[in-house]
Amino acid sequence: MDTQQTHIPKEAEAALPPADSRMGKFYRALLKRYPIWPVIQFFMGKKVPEHKHSAWYMLGGIALFLFLIQLVTGVLLMVYYKPGQPWASVNRIVMEVPFGALIRSIHHWSANLMILTLFLHMFSTLFMKAYRPPREGTWITGFILLTLVTLFGFSGYLLPWDDLAFFAVRIGVSEMEKLPVLGTFAADLARGGPDVSMETIGRFYALHVVILPLLVLALIALHLLFVQIQGVSEPDTFAALPLEKKKYRKFFSDFMIGEIPVWLFMFGLLIALSAAAPRGLAPEANPMGAAPEGIKPEWYLLAPYQALKLFPGKLELVGMAIMGLGPLLVIALPFIDKNVPTDKRGEMITQMAIAGLIGFLGMTIWGLLS
Amino acid sequence: MTESKKEEKKQASDEPKNEKRRKFLLAAAGGVGVAWVGAAAYPVYKYLAPQPVPDPFGEDGKALVDKISPADVARPGTGKNGGYASRGIIVLRNGDGDLKAFDSKCTHAGCNVEFQGDKIHCNCHGGNYDLTGKNISGPPPKPLTELKVFEQDGALYVSRLEPEKKG
Repeated sequence: MDTQQTHIPKEAEAALPPADSRMGKFYRALLKRYPIWPVIQFFMGKKVPEHKHSAWYMLGGIALFLFLIQLVTGVLLMVYYKPGQPWASVNRIVMEVPFGALIRSIHHWSANLMILTLFLHMFSTLFMKAYRPPREGTWITGFILLTLVTLFGFSGYLLPWDDLAFFAVRIGVSEMEKLPVLGTFAADLARGGPDVSMETIGRFYALHVVILPLLVLALIALHLLFVQIQGVSEPDTFAALPLEKKKYRKFFSDFMIGEIPVWLFMFGLLIALSAAAPRGLAPEANPMGAAPEGIKPEWYLLAPYQALKLFPGKLELVGMAIMGLGPLLVIALPFIDKNVPTDKRGEMITQMAIAGLIGFLGMTIWGLLS
Repeated sequence: MTESKKEEKKQASDEPKNEKRRKFLLAAAGGVGVAWVGAAAYPVYKYLAPQPVPDPFGEDGKALVDKISPADVARPGTGKNGGYASRGIIVLRNGDGDLKAFDSKCTHAGCNVEFQGDKIHCNCHGGNYDLTGKNISGPPPKPLTELKVFEQDGALYVSRLEPEKKG
């Protein structure tokens, strides 16, 4: 026998199917070559606390599912999309390619639902106070992921090169241009010139299909690794229970199987939304024409859009600075609110979060109605 | 015995020297690393940096106005959206019968504004300008950029507004 082969631990022998069965032979051959039993054992021990708020633990999985949908539909769209003829190629996908309109609509709806899911995921984590030490790493990687996903949305928005895309990106980048010091530099680099043009497409395309996916995949891996190592956070009320009253579900495969119907439901929802409200394609961008009437940002940008209206003219920079404080505060949360069980400061943070959420929803609705 | 003792002594006296060498080599490696990253980053930056934009008014200092003919703005009070050098423009004839032209890029967030008869309006955030290009309501922080417009061989042309004509 080769000395490079490893020894199968006794617990593994006991847990594996019989040695004369096909699967038993396969697992033994595998473990003889790769000593991964501790890893398998680790995952078999992974468990999720069971309490009345357990359903919120599914949101991360749902976001991951939607991201997988984005990868698949995104690759499919890339087959026909041409950055040299952006509008014409998207028009072809919608009008000529079989199921092209459906694939594109799923990509659109999945993106929107992913952002919604991530918002909910963030707020559920916030209200369960799962960000507190030692889970700062999970919170911060999660926040960066949300930022990257927003950039995903912004860069993908331009690619169809219709009127809506053109003016939305022109506004977005020109807001960035107003930032002091590096604003103009960054905006010119993003646009590839002083204005949004076909030059911009190449940049946004590279960002959207290569750079952002690589970054997001790497960060998802890190985010999940942190969760695997530390386990799922338990809310205060659950953590305070005596050991015999704590109920857990095994992640493999109990919790995961419970998530499959939710994923299937999300898939059904995507198809239904795409059929009921397919993503339209406005006329091709015309850098010389007036912006179309009734142009409005996507729902997740309505809150800052409406809030900035409260700071007209030169006050706009003040408004942007105030809104910039929000994300900074979110990142800093685990360093401000640390104590378990929740103390006065922790309660204050929760109240501030509720106020922030109500403010965000209020601004969104106001922006929608205005 | 004496040999190995000598050796030990030598090693001991070498240690501070080695420490110094170690620091020097680390600093040198760091410096070379920074220089290397800089040397690699410069062409990448130059590759990505925007190319200089050609002057929209070309060599002869004027640009043809697209989609607006002199007949469109013949009567006082008329005006229209069009283009020049792949940018947006508004040409109008005011109540005094003077021909005026503005780059249609809104000074707020860069949407193209629309000529609406009595005012110039931006559909993106509701900014308004009067027919002299002055910002009168909404978020725009300053007036539209005015251009000099003139008729030549049955077509409209624009050029830069000369400083003495301003204000």
